[in-house]
Amino acid sequence: MNYKLILRTLGLTLLLEAACLFIPMLVSFFYRENPVPFAITILLLLAIGFPMVLLKTNSQFFDQEGFVVVALIWVLFCLFGALPFYFSGCFNSFIDCIFEVTSGFTTTGASILTEVESLPHGILFWRSFSSWLGGMGVLIFTLAFLPKTGERTHALVRAESPGPVTSKLVPQTAKSSKILYTIYIILTLAEILCLCLAGMPVFDSILHSFATICTGGFSTRNLSIGAYGSPAIEIIVTIFMLLSALNFAMYFLLITRRFVSILKSDELRAFWLIVLGAIALIMANIISTSGMVNGSFGDTLRQVCFQVASIITTTGFATADFNLWPQFSHIILLLLMVVGGCAGSTAGGIKVSRALLLSRCIQRDLRKISHPRAVKVVKLDGNAVDEGTLARVFSFFTCYAFIVSLSILILSLDDFSFQTTVSAVFACIGNIGPGLDMVGPMGNFSAFSGLSKLLLSLCMLIGRLEIFPVIILFTPSTWKRF
Amino acid sequence: MKIIIIGAGKVGFTLAQHLSMENHEVTIIDRNETAIRHASDALDVMCIKGSGASPATLKAAGAESADFVLAATSLDEVNMLCSLMAKQLGAKYTIARIRDVDYTVDLSAFQRDLNIDMVINPEYSTAIEISHLLRYPPASNIDTFLRGNVELLGITVQPGDFIIGRSLADLSRQLKTLSFLFCAAQRGDEVIIPNGSFVPQVGDKLYVIGTPMGLHQYFRLLGRYVPKVHSVIIVGGSRIAHYLANMLEHMHIKVTIVENQEDRCAFLSEQLPKALILYGDGTDQELLMTEHFTNHDAFIALTGRDEDNLLISLYAKQQGLKKVIAKSNRTNYEGIAESAGLESILSPKMITVSRILRVVRGFENKKGSIMVALYRFADNEAEAAEFQITEDTLYLGVPMKELPLKPGILICAILHKGAVIIPSGNDTIDPGDRVIVISHDQVICEFNDIYQDL
Repeated sequence: MNYKLILRTLGLTLLLEAACLFIPMLVSFFYRENPVPFAITILLLLAIGFPMVLLKTNSQFFDQEGFVVVALIWVLFCLFGALPFYFSGCFNSFIDCIFEVTSGFTTTGASILTEVESLPHGILFWRSFSSWLGGMGVLIFTLAFLPKTGERTHALVRAESPGPVTSKLVPQTAKSSKILYTIYIILTLAEILCLCLAGMPVFDSILHSFATICTGGFSTRNLSIGAYGSPAIEIIVTIFMLLSALNFAMYFLLITRRFVSILKSDELRAFWLIVLGAIALIMANIISTSGMVNGSFGDTLRQVCFQVASIITTTGFATADFNLWPQFSHIILLLLMVVGGCAGSTAGGIKVSRALLLSRCIQRDLRKISHPRAVKVVKLDGNAVDEGTLARVFSFFTCYAFIVSLSILILSLDDFSFQTTVSAVFACIGNIGPGLDMVGPMGNFSAFSGLSKLLLSLCMLIGRLEIFPVIILFTPSTWKRF
Repeated sequence: MKIIIIGAGKVGFTLAQHLSMENHEVTIIDRNETAIRHASDALDVMCIKGSGASPATLKAAGAESADFVLAATSLDEVNMLCSLMAKQLGAKYTIARIRDVDYTVDLSAFQRDLNIDMVINPEYSTAIEISHLLRYPPASNIDTFLRGNVELLGITVQPGDFIIGRSLADLSRQLKTLSFLFCAAQRGDEVIIPNGSFVPQVGDKLYVIGTPMGLHQYFRLLGRYVPKVHSVIIVGGSRIAHYLANMLEHMHIKVTIVENQEDRCAFLSEQLPKALILYGDGTDQELLMTEHFTNHDAFIALTGRDEDNLLISLYAKQQGLKKVIAKSNRTNYEGIAESAGLESILSPKMITVSRILRVVRGFENKKGSIMVALYRFADNEAEAAEFQITEDTLYLGVPMKELPLKPGILICAILHKGAVIIPSGNDTIDPGDRVIVISHDQVICEFNDIYQDL
């Protein structure tokens, strides 16, 4: 382990966080609010970050360092990011602050706040801005906008990017990151513009766009998007949620006019199939059990589309209280929570590509029973996937199942209903936000105990970093010197 | 004619043997001393030791005045270079053996850029032959053009066929979505190149030309096509198996391949997602039994060893498989195998040699034209010739319906940028295309002969 390098990289990102905090501080100034919480945090970050950056080291990143650095950075980012909340005094305890900011950085969007509309603008801005930063990845940001950091930086990107396989768009890592961030920023700006045109106040549209493109889900209203009561806004948000759950590499292919590669993408096709299938099933279920929820067929369809998009993209906005929907629809939403968006997007969940690979592996193994000597290569997008990747997908899924079970077990100590307990864990590890029952779209996480909140925060981190970096951080052998 | 053969391997040697017997001037180039000595001992040819890709060697062999240069070394790349060099030195017609699957994907562009007149791929040709054996009743005569993309075959009209008593113009309205064409008809002793007013009668022998898929569909419409084969087991995952499995998949035939190299299995599984690939020794009878191989309709042995192929085919035949096909390059075993009951034994070497011989013989008759293949059918009354179109061809870009064709001439297929077109009135001929022309009672020495004299 290259400790000096790890420390220096950590220092660098702390300084970056300090720089990011300037923006909410300016917002505080603009709305004539108290900027002190931000100022203190910035000073603290600078004081700790500077000495670490001055360490002299080489820049040889290998996979292990990459994983450890990524996990540590995220933990530190969350700890320091919680400070402005704590100093502002709007929250009950430091644990609540940690939960809220982790929920932001990991783009979960789960809240312990019952009342958000009274919060100062600066705090609201930091809440949404944190999820925008976390959406694309803190490290990818560092790589994109800092001068050349080193040769072997792809290990970092691999550790932070979601999905089973990480490919580069262009030969240079820094350039790839820059392209991704450019796409990210353009999407955000486009949504801000659309929302403003649809009649949302400017401050709200900026914050909601932040929360949509990163598939976070923090709203500035207690009733989420439903508070505006505007079909136009709902449709715009639905579209942008779905767009941000697609692999961002697709946009690059679109710009460079490589349409054939886009058409060849199995994941993309599967994603749309799941979205449309889920919408159809839920519509049928709602109509057959309770007629239209409220209003016409069109209204119901719009609400179902919005909710399906919101859950599968792991955003977590709400326009309707789906707690009131029939049980079958609940379970479909729960399944969507597990699947999540496409690899290489800002969405959470186990990713559509992993689900595809898993099902294809199972198909292959079933075939092996009738033809014991059969050889079958599992393919994705027309290319063979090597056995190592497949094995990693399986161990990923197994770890995921273990962690979910364990978390449900610990969370059950709080003695809430079965639906609440199970869906809270899925909503956090999948970075969705709202679950069912008590933690449903109109509820929140404030009733949980301190232990449960910390556990759920950890689940969010595990979900965002796709399990392995966090596990490696807690593996003793990582820290042994040989 | 002056013919240079580069590479005295199986194909090169056999070809030299046949050509020297037909009184051609044959020169063999090879780098291998032993191969050269063997050739000069056994054949009446000139032998030069050296690399066929070097201009010096080619000049020494007289490539400037050669009519044919055939590159058949073991390496595709060397073959390409050889024919490129020979062409630049002034050879009239070059043939290169290119067998790698990767190169065949965009072969027509390759061929144009490297200026190779004809590409032969023994494995691909063999796969085509095998697919014919699986597809059509053995009685009908089949020939292929445009590298197997177009097929010509004849069938006799039987009572009850829906085409009887209706003119072709009427039929073509019904059949226009299928890519095939009626190109000749034999009624009694008379051969007719049919036009729209031709009405088929019982007993006519109709020749149809088209893409394999189009003909397949036509046979289905006719109700004549009784698909004999639904599933095939192939032993040996060679390149022939790869090509063949691809063709069979297009014909909706289920393919099982047994291969004894694991990484080759993985490769085949990647390339042929629909096929079932088994890892194991295909000559192991227990493996075949566990896979219930007798449930398949056809058994094809394509391993690298002729002896294995013949023995395992005999076993399959004995187990009651209906159709058994074996690959064997050694012709001396054929008699034994046939007496034991094997009828379909294919030799990629002989298939290649006969294809090349056909072109050389075609050239002999028609010097100077760029004819790629010539085939006589209908009791040698009609000819189907494949031409390469150049800039010198007349009436380029003119729609078919306005071409002043001589009577008895039919343009029946165009290979344009890798795609086969069965032409209608508005299609045109462009440089770089390959065209198949059917002629009857006309002497067609070069492509421009099909037009009426001004």
